Amino acid sequence: MDSLVGFVGKNYVLMAGDTNAGRSIMRLKDDFDKLVQVDSHKILAKSGEIGDGNQFCNLIIRNVSLYRINNETELTTKSVAHYTRRQLATAIRKNPYSVNLLLGGYDKKDQMGSLYYLDYLGSSKKINYGAHGYAALFVGSILDRFWKEDLDFEEGLELMKKCLREVEKRLIIGTRCFVIKMINSDGISVVEKVMINSEKKNEIEEEN
Amino acid sequence: MFTLGSVLDNELKSTVEDFSFETNFSTNQLMLPNIEKPFEFAQSIIGLEKDLQENENQLMFHQQKKEERKERALIKGYKGTTTLAFIYEKGTVIAVDSRATSGQYIASQSVQKVVPINSYMLGTLAGGAADCQFFLAHLGRICNLYELRNNETISVAAASKLLNNILYSYRNYGLSVGSMICGYDTRGPQLYYIDSDGSRLKNSLFSVGSGSPFAYGVLDAGYRWDLSKEEALDLGRRAICAATFKDSYSGGTIKVYHIDENGWVKISDDDASELWYEYEKKEKKEKK
Repeated sequence: MDSLVGFVGKNYVLMAGDTNAGRSIMRLKDDFDKLVQVDSHKILAKSGEIGDGNQFCNLIIRNVSLYRINNETELTTKSVAHYTRRQLATAIRKNPYSVNLLLGGYDKKDQMGSLYYLDYLGSSKKINYGAHGYAALFVGSILDRFWKEDLDFEEGLELMKKCLREVEKRLIIGTRCFVIKMINSDGISVVEKVMINSEKKNEIEEEN
Repeated sequence: MFTLGSVLDNELKSTVEDFSFETNFSTNQLMLPNIEKPFEFAQSIIGLEKDLQENENQLMFHQQKKEERKERALIKGYKGTTTLAFIYEKGTVIAVDSRATSGQYIASQSVQKVVPINSYMLGTLAGGAADCQFFLAHLGRICNLYELRNNETISVAAASKLLNNILYSYRNYGLSVGSMICGYDTRGPQLYYIDSDGSRLKNSLFSVGSGSPFAYGVLDAGYRWDLSKEEALDLGRRAICAATFKDSYSGGTIKVYHIDENGWVKISDDDASELWYEYEKKEKKEKK
């Protein structure tokens, strides 16, 4: 039910998630942000059970902060991905967290963005583009077709909106509202909070 | 949360003196009887021993048992009720019904589904009555202790987070809690939805229970931030009335509460069926 999409561009990472929070057939909240900030240059996008997502992401964020306080240095995206994967893997056979994650981050050292795909089973892979949830079915092929290395920001945003338009069009569950965030050398910024209405001939209303 | 293995391991390593009453109370450990094989004894009580011997793959088995327990619990935990709450400019309105059902039998028409946590916070009850009542009363105790220790009133966000963490640690035990924590603190009127699967959501209006879709219909149609107090109370009452009319698991009496900076107040307590016909009469009069 949760849709998360992310890809890497030229010195930035673009991530989007839907903003629905619900219980069985009912939508309880339509401005629920699933892209949580880990530190100044990393986002953890969570999908799956709300409770597990909240608690697990809190665990990761607090431990990353603790590392920063203890060692006066920020962790790289790769380290956070490995740490997160390990936490998921050790929990799987005792008290599994049913959360699927996309970790996006920008490292000042390497001056490039990276994206990691993490699974509730404890798998982790560095990817250029990916998605979680039902969106993955629709968006996978679009990204295979249109993603290329070093997309600049306008091209990237257009590609992201193409993906979200497809999710809104084909997913029978109403997912119109998304939030798009970007991570680059300046940090995390909310690009847009979009409400997509594919009936209006591919017009996209921006709500802010 | 201790796992069974680790606590019992600690007990087995300790000496006889460690089983004194005072030590166990302060270290909060499992008290075991002074017998030959305490681990086996404990397992026999819980009922895993026989099956463990039969089944070689222990992990697979533990997983199965957990799922079975969850399924059994889920069947019982049907949230036959309607509760709603919303925040607006002047405070928080809470409206609940008062019917308790066990299957198709109406067990009671006068259940208290709103539990006071302190003088400015209320919690609503949906799902398993016992679970909700216990955990909300427990939350009340924790909030009281917080206020005594820190000499300041606890915020609604903190109280809801405490309950959320407790319920999250019991998330595979088959509890059924769908509670809303509503209150008024330094940030203004606040409303949180807390679930037994561990979710905690903050929003300006929620409705929980089997009659919630019906209540949402009326609530969403009439809700605005700048309602007057009378309009807000009327909206809450009408929404529950609509839900009791449509949903057979909701009914009894409709109780409405209001929370503002002075604390919570019970506004009204009307019979659901009578209220419906009163509204009808009113509308007929207005048409004339």
